[in-house]
Amino acid sequence: MLPAAGEPAAGDSWGMLACLCTVLWHLPAVPALNRTGDPGPGPSIQKTYDLTRYLEHQLRSLAGTYLNYLGPPFNEPDFNPPRLGAETLPRATVNLDVWRSLNDKLRLTQNYEAYSHLLCYLRGLNRQAATAELRRSLAHFCTSLQGLLGSIAGVMAALGYPLPQPLPGTEPTWAPGPAHSDFLQKMDDFWLLKELQTWLWRSAKDFNRLKKKMQTPAAAVTLHLEAHGF
Amino acid sequence: MLFQIQISRMKTSNVIWVGNYSTVVKRDPVLHWSWKSELPLECATHFVRMRSRVDDAKIPEPRFWSNWSSWKEADAQKSLGRDPLFLFPKDKLVEEGSNVTICYMSRNQQDNISCYLEGQQIHGEQLDSNVSAFKLNKVSFIRKTGTNIFCKVDQKDVIKGIVLFVSKVLEEPKDFSCETQDFKTLTCTWDPGTDTSLPKRSSQSYTLFESFSGKKILCEHKNSCNWQVDSDSQEMYNFTLVAENALGNRSVSVLFSLTHRVHPKTPYNLFLKNVSGTKATVTWKVHPIGNYSTLLCQLDLLGEGNVIQQHNVSIKENGEYLLSELEPDTEYMARVRCADANHFWKWSGSISQKFITAEAAPSEALDVWRNVKSVSGRPTVTLFWKPLSKLHANGKILSYNVTVENLDRLSGLEVHSVPATANGTELTLDQDSYQIHVTALNSAGPSPASVIVVSGDPGNEEVEEERVNGTEDGFSVSWKPQSGKAIGYVVEWCDHPQDLPCDLQWKNLSSNTTSTVISSGAFRPGVRYNFRIYEISTERMAYLLEKKAGYLKELAPSDNPQVVVSNLTSHSFTLSWKDYSTDSQPGFIQGYYVYLRSKAEKECHPGFKKATLPDKSACCQHRIDNPEQKTFVMENLQPESVYEFLVTPYTSAGSGPLDAFTKVTTPDEYSHILIRIILPMIVCVLLIMITCYLKSQWMKEKCYPDIPDPYKSNVLSLIKSKENPHLTIMNVSDCVPDAIEVIHKPEGSKIQFLGASKSLTETEFTKPAYLYLLPAEKNYSGPGPCICFENLTYNEAAADSGSCGHFPVTPEALPGQPGPLTSPENLLKALEKNYMNSLGETAAGEASLNYVSQLASQMSGDKDSLPANPPEPVLCSEYKMQMAIPLGLASPPPAENSGLSSTTPLDQSEHYR
Repeated sequence: MLPAAGEPAAGDSWGMLACLCTVLWHLPAVPALNRTGDPGPGPSIQKTYDLTRYLEHQLRSLAGTYLNYLGPPFNEPDFNPPRLGAETLPRATVNLDVWRSLNDKLRLTQNYEAYSHLLCYLRGLNRQAATAELRRSLAHFCTSLQGLLGSIAGVMAALGYPLPQPLPGTEPTWAPGPAHSDFLQKMDDFWLLKELQTWLWRSAKDFNRLKKKMQTPAAAVTLHLEAHGF
Repeated sequence: MLFQIQISRMKTSNVIWVGNYSTVVKRDPVLHWSWKSELPLECATHFVRMRSRVDDAKIPEPRFWSNWSSWKEADAQKSLGRDPLFLFPKDKLVEEGSNVTICYMSRNQQDNISCYLEGQQIHGEQLDSNVSAFKLNKVSFIRKTGTNIFCKVDQKDVIKGIVLFVSKVLEEPKDFSCETQDFKTLTCTWDPGTDTSLPKRSSQSYTLFESFSGKKILCEHKNSCNWQVDSDSQEMYNFTLVAENALGNRSVSVLFSLTHRVHPKTPYNLFLKNVSGTKATVTWKVHPIGNYSTLLCQLDLLGEGNVIQQHNVSIKENGEYLLSELEPDTEYMARVRCADANHFWKWSGSISQKFITAEAAPSEALDVWRNVKSVSGRPTVTLFWKPLSKLHANGKILSYNVTVENLDRLSGLEVHSVPATANGTELTLDQDSYQIHVTALNSAGPSPASVIVVSGDPGNEEVEEERVNGTEDGFSVSWKPQSGKAIGYVVEWCDHPQDLPCDLQWKNLSSNTTSTVISSGAFRPGVRYNFRIYEISTERMAYLLEKKAGYLKELAPSDNPQVVVSNLTSHSFTLSWKDYSTDSQPGFIQGYYVYLRSKAEKECHPGFKKATLPDKSACCQHRIDNPEQKTFVMENLQPESVYEFLVTPYTSAGSGPLDAFTKVTTPDEYSHILIRIILPMIVCVLLIMITCYLKSQWMKEKCYPDIPDPYKSNVLSLIKSKENPHLTIMNVSDCVPDAIEVIHKPEGSKIQFLGASKSLTETEFTKPAYLYLLPAEKNYSGPGPCICFENLTYNEAAADSGSCGHFPVTPEALPGQPGPLTSPENLLKALEKNYMNSLGETAAGEASLNYVSQLASQMSGDKDSLPANPPEPVLCSEYKMQMAIPLGLASPPPAENSGLSSTTPLDQSEHYR
């Protein structure tokens, strides 16, 4: 059926195409690619990625409400205050090269730690909220964030990474000190929401990268089969 | 001692405040005095000094001031640290409407600092090179999270802000009152007004203080507080309620006696017992108040949401009351509430219970009326009755009973049961008088009977109808009593007289009434309502008294009558509209207007007057005042003129539509004379024509015979005179026939001959049958006398044979014919063959005029079919065409050889080419 090598006949390209199609058609039947038995961390990474996108959407609405609650200038779009009292918040921004060089374990660990801290701060925010509606929204978001944390823990477990243990005494607390003025407290709330948003953007990228990475071996097999077909 | 205090700002010479402070100085005293600065002290250095003087009345004047103390400096800036920018006061709480001063202090004079209040830039007053202040007057509440004020150093990442918490003004509690339900607990309630709470700030609190006992409690709720009554010893209470928040307090007091503040609990266990049609017993219970207290309970009976009865009952614990005068089969609601009988303070809550009384027999007789009519000669009585109102039905009506009793003859009672849904029934009776009883039945029994007497004799129906005027209220109908023995009157009418059934209505009136107003929501303008007034005799028989007819409001007629024109002459015509009914019009027809207009006549006829139509055109109008006059004769008209007329009725409201005029043209004055002459003439002509038709054969023979008589031909006379005076006409007896030709000419064979000859070969023909008779005498074949004649009448294209000759047939004469033709069969065959051969080109003799001469052997249809037999014609057969009428068929033109068809056996197909 295959044409003789070195003699590119007129029907060569058609024959190759036919073979390629045949191989692609039978790909699902190749045992190495059939992942129905053991799905691996792929689906949970996808779910985690989806959850980050959902939370990102949810936060957009929540932040709008909360910043209006704080009043101007915090709800103004171009307000960009210095990060004064928010140093304890985990920073999401990182050098691109550093971010690229992170291994999966470190990447996941940073995510897990960041959300653990942010969740704690967010719960403190909820306790201080003056309106019932805002408290309800914050509580709902906290539940979703708790779910994201669990999802990350699931991915780590699937990949065989241990969960980071909080160091004793480093448990973040949300308690404004006496020197912490109300204005600074509002700044902290502002930064908390801002960092949370940046972390969700970063996590989406992290999990997207992780997802692609998990899919790479399957792609290699496919290419191999294509080569074999010809 | 009296102390005078001076306060300076920035520098000692800048005294901003001076005040006195008087106090009693004891031994080893440490005195405290405070002063609140509008400007935050952090923003400027303040100085204070004082001096004192004895301020005791016991010490006589003069009293001298001591020397001023040295200035004491209050500098909060020193403890601020090294930040480049400070903003004060930090997170201050003020009441709405207060004035607040804010200041900032910059370490670097070069810095350009801008400040914002709620996002809007504010500009302050510079107190110093480093210090600026902003005065906010009458600050308002914006949000619970406070008003944000911040300053930033331009071009630097430095920002400082404060939150100014503005609290709502604390209001005095309103509607403060206390009451008890059981002499054990006093419940005080109030309206707290606006909530002044702020996040992270303590909210307003309420404290209840009783001055007689000196007790004080902090209230758990913002609008109520419970006070425990210790014992019966305290009768009077003086409560003070204090509302307090971080910025101040408000209080309100109330003084009362406990026994005057009793608010009983809601009664319970409300039941209805022994509920009959008109009575019911109500029982209920109350919570006891103390040992000797009596409660006043109010029992309301409600029907359809309205209080029908109200009763006050004093009870200790159990209440009971017998409700009477209730309506049977009616839903009621019993409602009870109680209050302290001795000192009314407030009604308790209400308890209510619905109940329905039992049914009772209907309380009133039905309102029955009748309508007597004759169906197939038998009087038929239709009874109508009005359903009983809920008030009188006393329950659900199950059926109606109609009992018929013959008054003239002794017979049994006839009882009919009519279903509850019906409002009437129909009875077929005879000429006797009958008494009819109608009762309504419910579960409790029958209603009183309604009695009516009817008779088969309808009585006097010939009562003249009068007119009655309608008003907005209805029709005012009055009548004159006749017998004086009437027990009442009934006015009967139809709500919808144009419909079937017409919705018969009636109104009962007492015997002393002679007029009434009939009103109905169904009455409409333009509808004729007929009222019949009956007198009810003591025997309960109804006699027609009067008839009235009227309109609620008369309207103008909407249609005009259909007018018939008759007796049309040149000077007059008659109009009639006898079918027009005056009774079914939207008003009483008072007469008619006859309109006439003509272009020929400008003046109106006598009896007409000029009128203008709505389209501004002029016409003549004649008024007929009698509504029953339904004919009109138009006279004095011009002959041969067009007239337009219109007949329209009129009522008191106006006339009918003036739109559709009818045209009439008067005839010529002499037309009738003409008709008298022309008509007989037409008849005569017709008679002649009929005669001609009937005598057509005779006429034909006389005028245009099929076979002209040569003796009668004028040609003959010409020939005789000019050429040969001896020429004679051949007589029939001179010729001896030798052959008979029988032509069988089927009708279906029509030869299409107009086209090319070629197509003819394809045409089918029916074979003609020929029969030749051989000459009976051989010797006769010799040449005979040659007779020629010209037929001026006929077209005989094929009459080429000698009219009286014969040709001997020889066997040689038929080339190609094998057999001898001596026998008729052979000859026939040969002829057939030739015929068939040549038929394609044969001039269709059948289609041409087929004339068989008395003597000529017919050759017309097949003159070409017989060329094969060239008899040697001895006789000269000269036949000339007199009138060439080929009839469209391609007969060969009468050429030179037309008379020589027997000379050459020429194939006709070739011949035609």
